[in-house]
Amino acid sequence: MHKVTLDPVTKTLRRGDVPTVINPLDKHALEEGLRIRDEYGGKVTAVNMGREETICREALAMGADEAIQLCDKAFGPGADTLATAYTLSKAIKKIGNFDLVLCGNETVDGSTAQVPPQLAVFLGVPHVTRARKLGFITERKLRVERSIEYGYMIVETSLPAVIAVTKEINTPRIPTVEGILESYQKEVKAWCAEDIEAEEERLGSTGSPTTIVDFLIPEIKRRGEILKGPADEVSRLLVQRLHELGVI
Amino acid sequence: MDFSFTPEQEMLRKTVREFAEKEIAPKVDQMDETGKVPMDLVKRMGELGFGGVIISKEYGGTGIGHLARVIILEEIGRVSAAMANTLQIDHLGESPIIYFGTDEQKKKWLPSLASGKKIGALALTEPVGGSDVLGIQAVAKKEGDAYVINGRKCWITNSHISDVCGVIAKTDEKELTCFIVEKGTHGFTPGREEDKFGLRGCNTGEIVLENCKVPAENMIGKPGDGLRIALSCISNVGRSGVGAAALGLVCRCLEEAVKYANQRTLYGKPIANLQAIQWLITDIYMDYEISRLTAYYAAWLRDQGARCDAENSLAKFWATRGAVRCAERLIDIFGAYGVLKGYVPQRLLRDAWPLVSAAGTSEIMRLVMAGSALKKFA
Amino acid sequence: MKEIAEYMGIWVFAEQRKSKLMEVSLECLGGGKQLAEKLDIDLSAVLIGYNVEELGRELIAYGADNVYMIDHPLLGIYQSDAYAKVTADLIHEHKPEIFLLGATSIGMDLAPTVAAMLNTGLSAHVTGLEVDEKRQLRQIVPGFGGKVMAVVVCPNHRPQMATVRLGVFKKPMRDESRRGNIVKVEVDITEDDLRDKTIRMVEEKPKEKPLEGAEIVVAGGWGMRAVGGFKPVRELAELLGASVGGTRPALDEGWIVEEQMIGQSGKTVRPKLYIGLGISGEMHHTVGILDSEVIVAVNNDENAPIFQVADVGIVGDLREVLPRLLKEFEKIMMSG
Repeated sequence: MHKVTLDPVTKTLRRGDVPTVINPLDKHALEEGLRIRDEYGGKVTAVNMGREETICREALAMGADEAIQLCDKAFGPGADTLATAYTLSKAIKKIGNFDLVLCGNETVDGSTAQVPPQLAVFLGVPHVTRARKLGFITERKLRVERSIEYGYMIVETSLPAVIAVTKEINTPRIPTVEGILESYQKEVKAWCAEDIEAEEERLGSTGSPTTIVDFLIPEIKRRGEILKGPADEVSRLLVQRLHELGVI
Repeated sequence: MDFSFTPEQEMLRKTVREFAEKEIAPKVDQMDETGKVPMDLVKRMGELGFGGVIISKEYGGTGIGHLARVIILEEIGRVSAAMANTLQIDHLGESPIIYFGTDEQKKKWLPSLASGKKIGALALTEPVGGSDVLGIQAVAKKEGDAYVINGRKCWITNSHISDVCGVIAKTDEKELTCFIVEKGTHGFTPGREEDKFGLRGCNTGEIVLENCKVPAENMIGKPGDGLRIALSCISNVGRSGVGAAALGLVCRCLEEAVKYANQRTLYGKPIANLQAIQWLITDIYMDYEISRLTAYYAAWLRDQGARCDAENSLAKFWATRGAVRCAERLIDIFGAYGVLKGYVPQRLLRDAWPLVSAAGTSEIMRLVMAGSALKKFA
Repeated sequence: MKEIAEYMGIWVFAEQRKSKLMEVSLECLGGGKQLAEKLDIDLSAVLIGYNVEELGRELIAYGADNVYMIDHPLLGIYQSDAYAKVTADLIHEHKPEIFLLGATSIGMDLAPTVAAMLNTGLSAHVTGLEVDEKRQLRQIVPGFGGKVMAVVVCPNHRPQMATVRLGVFKKPMRDESRRGNIVKVEVDITEDDLRDKTIRMVEEKPKEKPLEGAEIVVAGGWGMRAVGGFKPVRELAELLGASVGGTRPALDEGWIVEEQMIGQSGKTVRPKLYIGLGISGEMHHTVGILDSEVIVAVNNDENAPIFQVADVGIVGDLREVLPRLLKEFEKIMMSG
């Protein structure tokens, strides 16, 4: 078959000693790519934006054929989703000749879910978000089950396309011992802004239309009555209070 | 002195932890209740390559070594000491072949052991006493190009699930010899399965050898090598493995203690604020750190090719007795909840005790250490 | 940027499914109206569908001054490619300065696509919107770490886009007497233009009472582990005729479904009464409950942040408190 390019989009925050981890949804995206490759053939390339290569290593350990680390001060911080999507699109264009780009639908920190569709626009391909099931109709056409609030949609898309997956889609494989050893024998390619021919003014905070200007600590005015004591008593008091307030 | 782990070892720890938490943890209660070995999990461990970690690449393994092995067993032991012990005995069953087998023997058995298709075990102990190795009564009589073995082994882990089992028997009055016996060999049958109060889900039982005919090429080494083979393997693989499983259990005790102490309130505040609880946690912490360091050190020595019988014994002694102590402290911290069946502490205590005498009693561990200390510091 | 001055007007994406307008779109009209009045400009709606003229009139009744209506047989159901293209074209032509969309599964797909096509900024699930002296839209979003709100602006690009969750704005009163313009927009779309095509949409009834519009919400969090799970939450909810909600840990444990998660990446609720059991009250969650009339919390840690947003709280062991609390509620519900 053709080349399947996988793209986990990762934005992680270093908080003290907490090690960076693959965004859980990206693992599902990677697993889907591996599943498709195992069944139909093709090549899986993992792409990560960040400074540490541990995520690429994990992707290789799971079985990705190749891993590319996008690291450059210019890529962030301060990059909003538009700048991030642009950066990734340039990297993927450099990889060239892709059939499918898979991403997690959103990250656990920002949770905007904006990058996959924006990435698709910059790549000039269609996209489907919230994919919970993928199947091939023909070699160039995918049938996607897309989850909505209460229910789902069936979407058919031509390839190449960007698909953003939800966790229902599969169970990510756990790397084998062999996979871990092999991952450290493979090369993680490191690309900077120049390597992907990215225009400086579209990167990082310069390339971000949105910017944070202020932080608010919301003012909260609540009664703030705390009840402590024997369980019998506090339970009784609480219900009584709610009755007094007229809510039950 | 570099105390850091390699990136591969860090990733290994992470992935084994993920496996243990996602796949083993949901089955732990069922294992404790029924006492049955979850063979699907045993198969999964094989699929992930855990069986092949001390088997070299040449024979189908990954050869990542003893320190990596300890990491795997520790992470599994943190969720289920029973599962960890099952895996480590699998390695023990492989070890006579790995360290003393011929190229032919290695080619014959190691690949399927490495891939997890087959499970290993080692049958040495007999009713006469595990500590009295020379007192074993199993006999292997030469008959043509085979040996006929008669005897009864007990307290054998993986007795009922192993496919490839090392059996130590006497080929002569003072001569112990090691044979590999495959499952299905006529005259080789698992006997009674023991009903332990802890470490349930790890199979411990008897093996009955009744006119069991074994081809001569199944002998590991020469007649008389059996004692050396058994002691070496038990020291380097068995004790190291039990210690690692116990280390995982101690780690779990520490985590549960801290979690509970932060949640449970007394006098309006979490009990973690009380010095008495802090002292209990400190004692668990010290046992944890000591168990860790001795376990990693012994494994590291082994990976360097150095002799480390005393260090293996120390690691196993400390971690196993430490596991019992720490589980007791955990029960103290939990108060009355510590003795309830639905809560973890009591299971940890029950799981800890069987590890104390596995791969040699504490007293034997002391003997080994005594021998080393007396020589080294003379 | 002098181009910025060319952009005028507040637009709202009027999402319809099976010819019914989504509640959140109507709420956006409410929020959009406030902004439009402050800036003294028009409020318009973008309506895409098939045979949706009725909806156009409805949008005017709910406050839209103009409705840009694209009525096409191929667009009755949401089509990712086509909807984005026609929306972007419309915006390109008419240049609104602000464009709001409901943060639904469709809005969250359409908004970023359009934003990228227009090369403009987009904030996700805003919890508030203001305009400053410079006519700039201040978009209030929950900040990273959850302890603060961040104020985001989009100074040099237009339109300023934001997706808005249900419950953030108030749905306006319907006024049949209102007058407005319905602008029928002709588009040339054929099957071949749809690179990805929605074949059908299947809607399933929620298994439990949904959070939308709930008067009482009973929610549970990580602390429910101490009592073995969510059973007490559901028991209390049933007793009070309430909807069940929870935090992300509750979702991860499998005690609730995604639609029941309240917070930054979940739902915003504004019930008469919110009861949080075993919920620590990190801002990720509380940002979704702050508009509740009365907030009640039960937690065993007196330092839990939930107590800072609660009207009444119990500090105690859930194992001891919950059964007794349930009894007390039973008593009062029985007594009528």
